[in-house]
Amino acid sequence: MILISGGDGGTGASPWSSIRNAGMPWELGISETHQTLILNNLRSRVRLQTDGQLRTGRDVAIAAILGADEYGFGTAILVSIGCVMLRHCNLNNCSVGVATQDEQLRKRYTGLPEYIMNYLKFVAMETREIMASIGVRSINELIGRTEFLDVNRDMLNGKTKDIDFSRILYKPEIKGQDALFQTSFQDHGIGQVLDNELIRRVKKALKKSEGVHEDLTIRNSDRAVGAMLSGYVCRIYGETGLPDDTIYFRFKGTAGQSFGAWLAKGITFELEGLANDYVGKGISGGKIIIYPDKRSNYKTEENIIIGNTNFYGAISGEAYIAGIAGERFCIRNSGLNAVVEGVGDHACEYMTGGRVIVLGKTGRNFGAGMSGGVAYVYDPEGSFSDYCNLDMIEIIEISDDDIKAIKKMLYNHVKFTGSLYAKDIFDRIGQTAGSFVKVMPLEYKKLIEASKSAQKMDITEDYDG
Amino acid sequence: MGDQSGFLKTGRKKTFYRPVCERILDNKEISFPRDTDISEEQASRCMDCGTPFCHWGCPIGNYIPEWNDALYQKQWTRAVDLLHACNNLPEMTGRLCPAPCEYSCVLEINDDPVTIRENELDIIEHAFETGYIKPAPPLKRTGKNIAIIGSGPAGLSCADQLNRAGHTVKIYEKDDKAGGMLRYGIPDFKLEKRLIDRRLDLYIKEGIELVTGVTAGIDVKAEDLLDGFDAVCLAGGAREPWDLMIEGRELNGIYFAMDYLVQSNRRTAGEKIRSEELIDAKGKRVVVIGGGDTGSDCVGTAHRQGASCIVQIELLPKPHEKRNENYPWPLYPMILKTTTSHEEGGEREWSVSTRKFIGREGHVRQLSCVRLDESFREISGSAFTIDADIVFLALGFLGPDHNGIIEDLLISCDERGNVLTGSDFMTSSKKVFCAGDMRRGQSLIVWAISEGRKAAYFIDLFLMGRTNLPFI
Repeated sequence: MILISGGDGGTGASPWSSIRNAGMPWELGISETHQTLILNNLRSRVRLQTDGQLRTGRDVAIAAILGADEYGFGTAILVSIGCVMLRHCNLNNCSVGVATQDEQLRKRYTGLPEYIMNYLKFVAMETREIMASIGVRSINELIGRTEFLDVNRDMLNGKTKDIDFSRILYKPEIKGQDALFQTSFQDHGIGQVLDNELIRRVKKALKKSEGVHEDLTIRNSDRAVGAMLSGYVCRIYGETGLPDDTIYFRFKGTAGQSFGAWLAKGITFELEGLANDYVGKGISGGKIIIYPDKRSNYKTEENIIIGNTNFYGAISGEAYIAGIAGERFCIRNSGLNAVVEGVGDHACEYMTGGRVIVLGKTGRNFGAGMSGGVAYVYDPEGSFSDYCNLDMIEIIEISDDDIKAIKKMLYNHVKFTGSLYAKDIFDRIGQTAGSFVKVMPLEYKKLIEASKSAQKMDITEDYDG
Repeated sequence: MGDQSGFLKTGRKKTFYRPVCERILDNKEISFPRDTDISEEQASRCMDCGTPFCHWGCPIGNYIPEWNDALYQKQWTRAVDLLHACNNLPEMTGRLCPAPCEYSCVLEINDDPVTIRENELDIIEHAFETGYIKPAPPLKRTGKNIAIIGSGPAGLSCADQLNRAGHTVKIYEKDDKAGGMLRYGIPDFKLEKRLIDRRLDLYIKEGIELVTGVTAGIDVKAEDLLDGFDAVCLAGGAREPWDLMIEGRELNGIYFAMDYLVQSNRRTAGEKIRSEELIDAKGKRVVVIGGGDTGSDCVGTAHRQGASCIVQIELLPKPHEKRNENYPWPLYPMILKTTTSHEEGGEREWSVSTRKFIGREGHVRQLSCVRLDESFREISGSAFTIDADIVFLALGFLGPDHNGIIEDLLISCDERGNVLTGSDFMTSSKKVFCAGDMRRGQSLIVWAISEGRKAAYFIDLFLMGRTNLPFI
């Protein structure tokens, strides 16, 4: 599916400058995409979707004629359930209760799902009326039929009167088996993915009430390994999952994208080698251990071992990475405890919970928009604050409790990954502890202090901002 | 935006009026001026909506969120500049406007709307008090002469706009003082006439010429207007009243509401009225036929004159107290309006039709009425009488007076009798424009201002070929 999202739309949180000045009309994008796909004999293989202030059946009909199979609605749907386009979505201050978590304001919400149904029925009805008026029986018969569109020159004036619409309305020849809309569907090869093998092995073991402890090789065409397995575990054992390390796979090689995505509780993935982007995306209680090939001798603290955007939206679990991670590490983490030996730009952005230890250098914009959780950074050079986005966080000295937490996680890290670099820090914790700094979101700190007075609680573990 | 969540912290403050027992003894303004800090706080309730429906609700598209923000920031001069950018007479609308903007305020959906009207009033009054409002004549004159017929809110705002654009403007007013309905239709307790004089003084100092006591088409001939001016704007209002031609209409003691209000306003202004023309409600039983604003003004005026008993009757059924599904937000709802004059006493009846006036010795003494059901059919056996010494007919207005300028210039009118114009506000007579009630039929002050401003835009465009005036 290819989405052509027009520049006329935008959320109520987007700045006026972007709304007014960024983007192009979807009409241009969808017609160009559609035509280019036809010229390359590819149109029948994809679904084209468009959005950007679609509101009426007429919009849908035009979008179809210009080449769209699917049509997205945003603003109009929200308006049908009570949005009045206050454009305060980012302020938690929506007076009609649509875009807010404020208890008082939520009470003002009066929308019903039926309103959306009703609205879309009207859109569909108008679309059908238009289709009937031009003698088209189904939406597929309408897609790409630009002969149904004409330019009303009377409505154009001034600068617009000379606009040449012929390229938008151009209809290329269809060659061979291609069509004007999607007719063939892609085989994703789900039957051949590595997870099937994992599930087969797990099934067998669980039948005998045994754990699984197996070694496998992995390569970078094995993507999202662990996702289907986690789904399988979840279906049987629910959200609570299995006891820790019940399912333990040791991989060797280079993992493809999304290694250990959504990994459920009770599953541990150990990887000797490397991994591409998105390691542990949305991890939900599992454990991921990654270290370089045992035969290699390069320094873990100086070499990148996993790609970008790791542990995006992590929910809970543990991660021990003996090496440097790429950019956007642990964005939107809400409960994962992770140890890593260095990160790229934007680490811990929008983080709301969990605990992250970085044993090496960080990129810039660390902790932007971070509203919860804690990060500890080993910063012997004292330059870390230059790399931080201090809008919502502050850097403070660590306390004895923090040292305890760091020691515990470091111990695990050394134990699981065998990192010499981490071992050195751990062994000299008396001296190295002073080089750790703590990153604390301001709002989160207030919250912790308030709850501390009420009851002494262990921070970070379960709090989900 | 000032305070993001001001509306959650502060509630809407009601208008404070002087106590009824005190205010009906004089003709002074009935509301208290508001403290500035209350206005600043009330302004914080404005949410600066991404889509400000108040702009849409207001016929002159006032920059409401913008000046509310300025007010909250205590930037009073910025606020009044923003206010004046769209409104030529904010001290009038600030007192008299029914505030369609407040009915379309987003907070009206599930909260109480921002006190837009009162914030507006406070901004302009503060500006006058602190001496910020000074005459600002245009720096350059275009040399074009424009005659404006009528000095009501439409004529005045049209004149003000054109004067700002550098044209030489002359206003002709048939009454002996300028202001139109503002002066003669609205009682002093709602709008003290010194406020009109204050604004007129400003206009005159800015170079607008004002000629009173001159009726266009009679005292000054239409052809002279066409010869002497580059453009003419008719803003003569729509004062021809609806009559009630039923048995007994010829009896003494039955007056048009406007005749009564005009005379009462003249009396308040200190003019002497000849005794045979005098309409005085003192000690009389008064019946007002018609439930609108004009009727309400008659009620308030009669209270102040000491009427012994006042009844106001209306043909239509009693409206709902609250907005119902026929008038969803942000539309202006037809709901029960209890004015300050109604709070001062008297009775109100709805679904009542007057069938005849009963008199003795040539003077009205009773009204014979019936009650109507929802489809305006008489309910049998519902006949009743109301005692009355004076009856005021406040049934609405037919349209403009066709004698005089309209006839003189052979201007075409629509089927309702209003002056017909194109979308450029020009009448069937070239270079003659029309604005206000004369064009759209009797309406609100804020619509008159809107019309005046639009007409000025098109006049400037007509004369200069281009214009920098705002469309509204």
